[in-house]
Amino acid sequence: MIVSKAFWKIAIKNIGTIILYTIILLLFGSINMNTSTTTTQYEAKKPSIVVFNHDERKGVTDGFMTYLEKNTDIKTDYADDDRLKDALFYEDVALALDIPENYHQDIALGRNPEIRMRASAGYSAELAKVVVKRYLTIAQAYAATNLSEADLAAMIDKTLEKNVTIDIKSSVDTSKYSKPTRYFSFANYSILACVITIICLIMSAFNRVEIRKRNLISRTELKQMDRVLLKNCCIYAFGVWLLYIILGFVTIGSDVLWSAYGLLYTINSLVFTICATTIAYVLSKLVHSQSAISGVMNVVALGSSFLCGGFVPAEYLPDSVLAFAHILPSYYYIDANNKIMAIESFDWNTLWPIILNIAIVICFSFAFVALAAYISRKKQKIA
Amino acid sequence: MFWHNFKFAFKTLIKNRELIFWTLAFPFILALLFNLAFARLHDYDVFEAFDIAIVNDESYQNAIGIKSAYSALSEGDEKIFNIKYASREDADKMLENEEIEGYVYIADGQIHVAVKTNGTNQTVLATVSEQISQSVVMVEDIVATDIQRSGGQEINIPEIAAKAMKIVSEAEPNVKDESRVMNIVSIEFFTLVAMACMQGAMISSEMMDRSLPNITNRGKRVSIAPTRKSVIVGSNLLAGYLLLFVSVTLLILFTRFVLGIEYGSNIALMLLVAVVGSLTSTMMGMFLSVFLKAKSGAKQVIVLVVTMVGCLFAGMFGGMKNYFDEALPFVNKISPVGLITDGFYSLYYYDDISRYVVNIVSLLVIAAIFFALSVRSLRRNRYDSV
Repeated sequence: MIVSKAFWKIAIKNIGTIILYTIILLLFGSINMNTSTTTTQYEAKKPSIVVFNHDERKGVTDGFMTYLEKNTDIKTDYADDDRLKDALFYEDVALALDIPENYHQDIALGRNPEIRMRASAGYSAELAKVVVKRYLTIAQAYAATNLSEADLAAMIDKTLEKNVTIDIKSSVDTSKYSKPTRYFSFANYSILACVITIICLIMSAFNRVEIRKRNLISRTELKQMDRVLLKNCCIYAFGVWLLYIILGFVTIGSDVLWSAYGLLYTINSLVFTICATTIAYVLSKLVHSQSAISGVMNVVALGSSFLCGGFVPAEYLPDSVLAFAHILPSYYYIDANNKIMAIESFDWNTLWPIILNIAIVICFSFAFVALAAYISRKKQKIA
Repeated sequence: MFWHNFKFAFKTLIKNRELIFWTLAFPFILALLFNLAFARLHDYDVFEAFDIAIVNDESYQNAIGIKSAYSALSEGDEKIFNIKYASREDADKMLENEEIEGYVYIADGQIHVAVKTNGTNQTVLATVSEQISQSVVMVEDIVATDIQRSGGQEINIPEIAAKAMKIVSEAEPNVKDESRVMNIVSIEFFTLVAMACMQGAMISSEMMDRSLPNITNRGKRVSIAPTRKSVIVGSNLLAGYLLLFVSVTLLILFTRFVLGIEYGSNIALMLLVAVVGSLTSTMMGMFLSVFLKAKSGAKQVIVLVVTMVGCLFAGMFGGMKNYFDEALPFVNKISPVGLITDGFYSLYYYDDISRYVVNIVSLLVIAAIFFALSVRSLRRNRYDSV
């Protein structure tokens, strides 16, 4: 009872740490939960562009502007060149276009007037270029046939009406599961940070030489004390997990999490929280200085989140980094989240890889418990 | 006396392992992690040809124009597609297993595109397929126009068709591409250096606390020593500043020459940001120590919050600087982290240095304000009780 009381007294004293990492999860987890890409209906992406039209809105120029309004997201208020340059750098604008004076007349006369464009480095800039060049190429082809300005515009419009049929083959809209995937993958950092910091702080307080000596001569057996500490560590970690699940329901929505997918995310995160507790238990045996705990925690939590795809999706990580990440439990936890998102039907084939990942995280937990026991025994012998 | 005190202040600083970890080791570890995590992020964003399948049946073989258009788009340096020819069933399987982004088949003389998801590659496939489909319409239109213009005279259809196909295939708009290919990931490293600079506020705050009698016992001892306060404060701050400047410079050189992050071509101006940024954060630490009668832990939390919020606004954690510049334009103009980041950014992205100069002058003004306020408060202090 006394041991438990002391445990929770220290935990409550450090509640600021829990609040801090929870805010980080909510803030950056929300930023991470961008809009998704998978739906059951095809919808063309509209790149953001800026158009400086120096021509009158007549003939081909009018047709071009109407086409751009339909196929792109035209941004305004970029008269300041520095602002536009910044927007292009940060990929808020994919492409800036300058339509020269007398463009519609020049095209009708069969000339090929110059159009200036500045594109960002992003993928959507390439899409914007494809969209813009499509119209200009059609205009250029018809211009070579000496049509009148009105006929030219009409021909271009008629040609652009020709579409292709798009069949979308996905039967399940998996896009709604990208949000929980990103939330739970980012939670890798928050779970590790919260669990390691608090458990290491508490254990370091109990491991201080004078406290340890006092405990050794007390009536409570050392083994019993260790058992109580371990039990309270587990209760604390369970509390952290429960908090993040509740916050998940609030931020993601109960309709998404109250499903078989949600159950899998929940089980996966619970198993990872248990693993994080065992990691914290091992570290508490190795790190005794309170000032060093924060550094160790940051290296472990940030390192595993960066290397395993907690912050940056795994598909963007270099193969060598991902190969190295296989030795970390976070990799299997985050990979399982990604696999849950990709499930289209619940059968043995789709569930088996997820079960395997969860089993590997459990194996890591056992390995950490064995390591902690080994370190304890070794230290006892030295003492 | 100044150099004697400086020597011991510097020695005690470098023996403080916790401080050394956060100011020296931690930014290096983060730089390494950033480099590993973001290495492919920029490359990934650059357009690369992607895999599609084409159902190679009789309809496709008969559509000669369409066939040659797809074939042309899968060849050369600027190819868009890596094409795999397959039966409809195999194409379906490949799409299901996500081996391809989509597939194309011809039915009733029309192009059909099958995709699994809604994404940028899928939009490119659909847009280009539309373009091909429209090219066919264009050839037909041009041929029809020429027949109409002939006014009943004898015409050579194959010749007109060949001419129309030539017009369509040779149509090339006169587009002058003035794009500059820059790496958005660089901003993460600029903010990281800015963050490392701001850690200096922790060092200078710690060094100032040692000189203030109302904060530490060491301050009480130091204040009754027969040494001028300006000598003690000056030597302590110089030791902290020097350590910070060396660590920030090492970080810049490490990211520039080991990790290959671009900062622009002018190394002297690049290092000037480190000189001025370190000075500003040192003055900020001095200001905090003088005006905030709190434990060093509380001051560290304030420095950490100012730094991390500044980093978020300056573009760390996802490059949202431009978003915040639009929403709250004044923040990055007064935040030292924002100014340091923008200093590096303007060196990297802009051809002239006027924006860079504004950033450097703003940092110097902030440092001067912190310094003036701190000195004003420190002068002629008398304590009734400490």
